[in-house]
Amino acid sequence: MSLFYYTFIPIIIAFIAYFLNKKIKLSLAILNSVVFAYLFYQISRLYGQWDIPYESITYYIFDREVQLIFQLTPLSWLFIFMTTGAGLLIAIFTIKSQQEYTLRSAFHLNFAILVGSILGVVLAGDFLSLFIFWEIMTWSSFFLISSGEKKAAQKASFRYIILSTVGAYLMVTAIFIIYNQIHTLRYSQVAAHLSGLPITESIILIIMLAIPFIIKAGVFPFHVWVNGAHSNAPKEFSPFLSGLMLKVGIYGVILLLYFVPLYNILKDSIHYRGLPIFNYILAIFGGVTVITGTVLAIRQEDVKRLVAFSSISQMGYIIMALAISTPLGFTGGLLHLMNHMIFKTTIFLSIAAVIYRTKTTKMREMGGLIFKMPVTFAAYLIAIIALAGIPPTNGFISKWVIYQALIEKGYIFLSVAAFFGSIGSFMYVFKPLSTIFLGQLKPEHENIKEVPFLMQLPMFVLMALILLFGILPGLQMNLINQISQLLNITPVGFTLYSITGAFGTWNSLVIFSLFVGGFLLAFIIFISVKKSKPVGLMDTYTSGEYLDDPEAYHYAYQYFRPFDRVFDSFAARSLTAAYDTFAQNIVKLGNVFRKSIVTGNGQTYAFYMILFIVILAFAGWII
Amino acid sequence: MILNIFGFLMMAFSAMALGLLFIGIARKVVARVQKRIGPPFYQPYLDVLKLFTKNSITHGFIFDFGAIMAFGGMITTLFFVPVGPFVLYGMNGTLLLVIYLMAVAYLGMAMATVGSGNPLASVGISRALTQMLGYELPFIVVLLTLIYSSNTSSIIGIVQAQQSGFMNWNLINIPIGTAVAFIALLGLMGKKPFDAPVAPSEIASGPVVEHGGKYLAFIMLQHAVSVVVKTALFVDLFLGGGNNIFIFIVKMLIVWLLAALIGSIFPRFKVEEGVLFYWRWPLIAALLQAVIIIF
Repeated sequence: MSLFYYTFIPIIIAFIAYFLNKKIKLSLAILNSVVFAYLFYQISRLYGQWDIPYESITYYIFDREVQLIFQLTPLSWLFIFMTTGAGLLIAIFTIKSQQEYTLRSAFHLNFAILVGSILGVVLAGDFLSLFIFWEIMTWSSFFLISSGEKKAAQKASFRYIILSTVGAYLMVTAIFIIYNQIHTLRYSQVAAHLSGLPITESIILIIMLAIPFIIKAGVFPFHVWVNGAHSNAPKEFSPFLSGLMLKVGIYGVILLLYFVPLYNILKDSIHYRGLPIFNYILAIFGGVTVITGTVLAIRQEDVKRLVAFSSISQMGYIIMALAISTPLGFTGGLLHLMNHMIFKTTIFLSIAAVIYRTKTTKMREMGGLIFKMPVTFAAYLIAIIALAGIPPTNGFISKWVIYQALIEKGYIFLSVAAFFGSIGSFMYVFKPLSTIFLGQLKPEHENIKEVPFLMQLPMFVLMALILLFGILPGLQMNLINQISQLLNITPVGFTLYSITGAFGTWNSLVIFSLFVGGFLLAFIIFISVKKSKPVGLMDTYTSGEYLDDPEAYHYAYQYFRPFDRVFDSFAARSLTAAYDTFAQNIVKLGNVFRKSIVTGNGQTYAFYMILFIVILAFAGWII
Repeated sequence: MILNIFGFLMMAFSAMALGLLFIGIARKVVARVQKRIGPPFYQPYLDVLKLFTKNSITHGFIFDFGAIMAFGGMITTLFFVPVGPFVLYGMNGTLLLVIYLMAVAYLGMAMATVGSGNPLASVGISRALTQMLGYELPFIVVLLTLIYSSNTSSIIGIVQAQQSGFMNWNLINIPIGTAVAFIALLGLMGKKPFDAPVAPSEIASGPVVEHGGKYLAFIMLQHAVSVVVKTALFVDLFLGGGNNIFIFIVKMLIVWLLAALIGSIFPRFKVEEGVLFYWRWPLIAALLQAVIIIF
């Protein structure tokens, strides 16, 4: 199958299905699942065929030859595989979950276009096709975010599109400049060209190209759109937004850092511990992103907002690891990218399942759902164990590699940021666990049932993946080393069960079997003593007080208040407010301009016209 | 295989016995500091045996599962920490692993206690997690320095690097770091002044408020194993480990009694005060040490 089809099939099918959907309800969701499943199957068969030639469409604009190029590399294979995989799982999830959602058909139309355009972005072999699909992706995701059920969705999506547009302008400008200089936009030629330019010029061009990617990846100081967009998007879209859309930004960063070998371009610039200062600043931004995301996540009362901030902080890890440009850093970044996609999608899906049943995202309005929704709870639990980086899950492995990379080079600030984010993540992931799933059950949630099987299925698949990659990291490493070879990075040593870090290695199979041993021992001791009597949740120690209201007996609101007090002044100085002030000042400036020049008086305009003609006459253009 | 399983069981049970002994000794010593007679040193054994025979109540399956997870997680951690010459699984790269493995036990404990539905337990867990962010940060900066200076992240490697005599101990090599790690150890073990998470007089012992019977016995055993794990880790990293198990246990006992003695004379920090304390002097000292070693 030609590479072009991967992009255009979902887009074309989406439009067909959209009109079909007017006749038959749910046809879109099912059709989407089928199409994604087919693509997923085809893409998994593409694995290893890195030698298929690139494909191109040539056309002419004003007699200038322009080529749209599609090519398959291990890196792009990883991304198309993840995209269709996540798209498939979410499409299956939506079959049941969107029964009462009014914008259902628009959702699926945009979702299919989005998946198609992401495939286009990562398969593109030149900057122009990248830009075209990048914009399709931006707009379809904009429509998806704005179709959220809350009023705030519109404001959030507006913020998203404004930032994206700023990025797009920069990108298109850089692309035109480069095209003017070399008349081609293929990655390899652009990379060679940028290496040959004077260093300031190439850095400016690279920054212009990098900013749209960094905006999409939600890295400080451009993270302001992430929390609003994630928390207000439709509940089924948030997993995709966090699991994949942010990663597409990372794809662009990888493209610039490694494909266009930034390291080589900047080899002669200022260094800090063997790292070009530009890379180090990017890594510092990553570290600041980790800390900001963590601190703000701990404060949130809205569960989707909390997970959104956690996504921001995890993105910081990936950027940090990629920016330090060592083999271990690159490996850790890519591993964390895959693993974050898996466990964050799981978290958002389990949250979506909870929202589907309780119709609320406020954590304090829920509680004790573990006995009603055990599968959802299990999915959430395993995913947060992975997020907190606890063995034997995949999150531990990627974080371990990142730590090794940071300690190897002795970056103190970055390591402190990474550890802060890691331990802080215990706090913020435990908050939803405790307030939604544990604690007292609300009386109005007495009749809640577990979600339908079609919604459980994606969660089961993802749970299995978390454990699988936690025990067999070699499966991922195989692909990562192929990517490393492509990008001329020294591959990191690995076996099926272990990865060789800078300061040693471990064996995940031994860890897992010891876990089984420890748990088995505890279990045997537990069942060999007397059985205990089950009692209700209200039957607890209350210092002699008589209690009958479970709602008042549930500790949920402001869970980490003592901690939040420490950071109150930090959180008050919000970057969002700073951007808002900036926007208001622009409006004020515009008003000044309007009052002084655009007066609304006909005579003023007549004066302008005469002035214009006089200037032309002086310049000698009329006579 | 059979030998492995035998070693596994031996190590688990002797760690429990040793931990309970340590707790008993500390109770006696603290009692003497406070001019009490105190219980006999074997009192914790009696407590555990008694609690296992008592009737107990459960608040649902997560309450049971959490207890198993807490205990099982701690036992798993034990096998990665060399206790004297006894090393079951001598992998490289275990130091960071141990730190994260301990979190399994905490998570299990936290789930069990919050699963009981008692808000006092939730308050305790919220404090415990907050305080964790306090002490772990300076502690981990010290560990990072240690890994960088010994050029290995294997605990066995770090022990071996300190073998030839007292002057090679990390206590001498990185003195500020050792002091910081000890202060962090106080928080790690929940000793005063960092015992806000349990705070018997405010929140009725917080996390263990609902635990009785075999659940309390499990928590006690988990605590016993955790005492062994944490003191052994400290001895391995800073006090040169030990080829002789008796010398090693004496070193562990010294660390443990020092912590208990310090704990017996201090009042309690409020939880955010504790966090801020850790982020002020210990963190600055740890960073100073890191800068000295790395640059």
